[in-house]
Amino acid sequence: MISLRGIGKRFGDHTLFAGLDHDFAPGRTTVLTGPSGAGKSTLLRLLNQLERHDAGVVQVGEVTIPAGLAPSEWARRAAALRRRTGMVFQGFQLFPHLSVLANVALAPRVVHGLAPAAAEARARQLLELVGMAAAAPRFPARLSGGEAQRVAIARALAPEPEVLLLDEPTSALDPANTEEVVRVIEGLRQRGQTLVLVTHDPELARRLADDVVALG
Amino acid sequence: MLRCLRLPAFVVVAACGGTAVAQGPPPVEPWRAAAVLRWGSDAEGGAPFVFVDPAHPERGEIGFEVELAHELGRVLAVRCERVQAPYEHLVQVLERGDCDFVLNGFEPTPARRNQVRFTRPYYIFQQQLTVAPRFAAVRSLAELAGQRVGVLGQSQSHQMLLSQPGIEVVVYESNVTAYEDVQNGRNAGSLADVPIARALRPLFPTLVDVGEPFGGFYYAMAVRRGDGALQQALDQALATLLADGSLERIYRRWQLWGPQQARLGDADVIAATAEAVASATPFAWGVALTLLGQGALRTLGISVLAFALAIGLGLAVALVRLYGPRPLRLLAVAYVELLRGTPILVQMLLLYYGLGQVEGLQLSAATAGVLGLGLNYAAYEAEVYRAALLTIPRGQHEAAAALGFSGAQALRHVLLPQALRLVLAPSTNDFIALFKDSSIVMVITVVELTKQYQMLANASGRFITLGLVTAGIYLLMSLPLAWFARRCERALDKDRA
Repeated sequence: MISLRGIGKRFGDHTLFAGLDHDFAPGRTTVLTGPSGAGKSTLLRLLNQLERHDAGVVQVGEVTIPAGLAPSEWARRAAALRRRTGMVFQGFQLFPHLSVLANVALAPRVVHGLAPAAAEARARQLLELVGMAAAAPRFPARLSGGEAQRVAIARALAPEPEVLLLDEPTSALDPANTEEVVRVIEGLRQRGQTLVLVTHDPELARRLADDVVALG
Repeated sequence: MLRCLRLPAFVVVAACGGTAVAQGPPPVEPWRAAAVLRWGSDAEGGAPFVFVDPAHPERGEIGFEVELAHELGRVLAVRCERVQAPYEHLVQVLERGDCDFVLNGFEPTPARRNQVRFTRPYYIFQQQLTVAPRFAAVRSLAELAGQRVGVLGQSQSHQMLLSQPGIEVVVYESNVTAYEDVQNGRNAGSLADVPIARALRPLFPTLVDVGEPFGGFYYAMAVRRGDGALQQALDQALATLLADGSLERIYRRWQLWGPQQARLGDADVIAATAEAVASATPFAWGVALTLLGQGALRTLGISVLAFALAIGLGLAVALVRLYGPRPLRLLAVAYVELLRGTPILVQMLLLYYGLGQVEGLQLSAATAGVLGLGLNYAAYEAEVYRAALLTIPRGQHEAAAALGFSGAQALRHVLLPQALRLVLAPSTNDFIALFKDSSIVMVITVVELTKQYQMLANASGRFITLGLVTAGIYLLMSLPLAWFARRCERALDKDRA
């Protein structure tokens, strides 16, 4: 269960979302749309607390984060929340010093305590899933944008998150690379992975959305 | 006016000025033409020779040699100006022409007599052994075998200690610091010329002079090899001062007169330092290279340990400054500014001699050297690491956070490995700089490569050849380092497109 209750986020003297409520249905793909400045990415980043909210409650599974928690309590709950969410960034943000395989295997090993061999086995499976198995030993700087974003998706899926958050995953890509990435996202949707996607591309929204949240 | 009155004296001196006169009109020497003679000496720790009285700094430089120089100038009808120079480099300063003669408790050691020309002695002195209270029962140097004994570098006492078997000789650039280290317990004792020991006694009331003063040594003035005429002029002037009692009056004022000074006019004393020593034993290159090699190893050891400390502490300071709570952050800023903003020389002296005055904080010279260099370079490393960490894009922090990494995990697995590549070049630079800066530990008695070079070159006059060899050794050690850093950089660059 992923839900937002009464969410507000202050920017200077105005407030975004003004008490927004939303439940993200499990197994479905929700697209957040709206004009620039409406807060699409901000709302997405509230779901894994890369941004903090000033009012309301964010809930993923049994982790609830009300606004205004003390820093140490917030840090504890945010960590728990992030272990249940995966995120794909517009700019990929692969770790440049690690191979493709190590990028994907790192979080399962370090955060979830898997043995290195088990973490690598899972990483290889996920690279297979996104069609990047052959690139396992390569380094991020030698990948095309589409390849890098597919590796980033595999990396975000490695901890087996309840929900995958995608922030403009194709807007840095040319059409051919976009298509590669969109196919992978479609595959995840068909497998019943819960997805929340931010895009300003109406064509992409139509193609992927089960539900649409229009902001602004 | 005064100078006019003295002209006859000058003419007399010139006329008695030795054999050159017989060869027709002698060329007028520059110092006579200018009526100025510059004498080289070191006022640091210079009592009773030449020093500034801490109780009366307004009186300027005082000392029996200041008065002697004044009297010599009076007899020679010139103005004597003092030139400040480090004691250990007086020969070089003289040879370079920065002064005309050396007057500074300068002993005609064989090495020096090979390099410069000495006048007749102007003072006869003995050596005094001074020890810490716990060694007060000791009566002679031989009983201090196995102990550390401090001494002024390049001095007669230094020579004497080197010929005493079993004593660990610690070389200082000033008698005061040598005494300081006896007082704070680092050394058992110090050997010094009697005039120095007498002058330092009130400053170090807890130390004990043991045994009778011993030996018979001379202070004499030194001129350049080719300045025979000046040597003779100074000899004549000394003879005048001895004859008219001026010399005795000066020495009595400084409580330096004793029965042995009566021998200053004896023929054997006058002749003792006059002739130049012909080239001494051939230079022992094997010994010199072994000593330089030992110095190089010490330089390397100190540098490696100090830089290891600089890396560890620098990283800690950088992390505290970036991610620590506010009070600690301010402390880290203060650390960097303090250590970067004050001379490493001052830090080193504070660490060794300053802490040395505090019971229980007496570091060994090597420890203080490693600590001083390490603490200082940590400030620079902290800034390098901080800059590198700040260069890593925000997106990398967010990617790690989004995957559930704690701050420490993100640092360990994501941020530091990326920062490492960025710091490799500037850090290697810093290591090479530290490696060369490590010679500063010589001020706290560590004999490393540069100090060893100085001592060998001072003793032999071979500044050029030994200097080139020493530079070569430094290069041999720093080049592989640069090569190693480039290799690391290439290895880390495998992930670059």
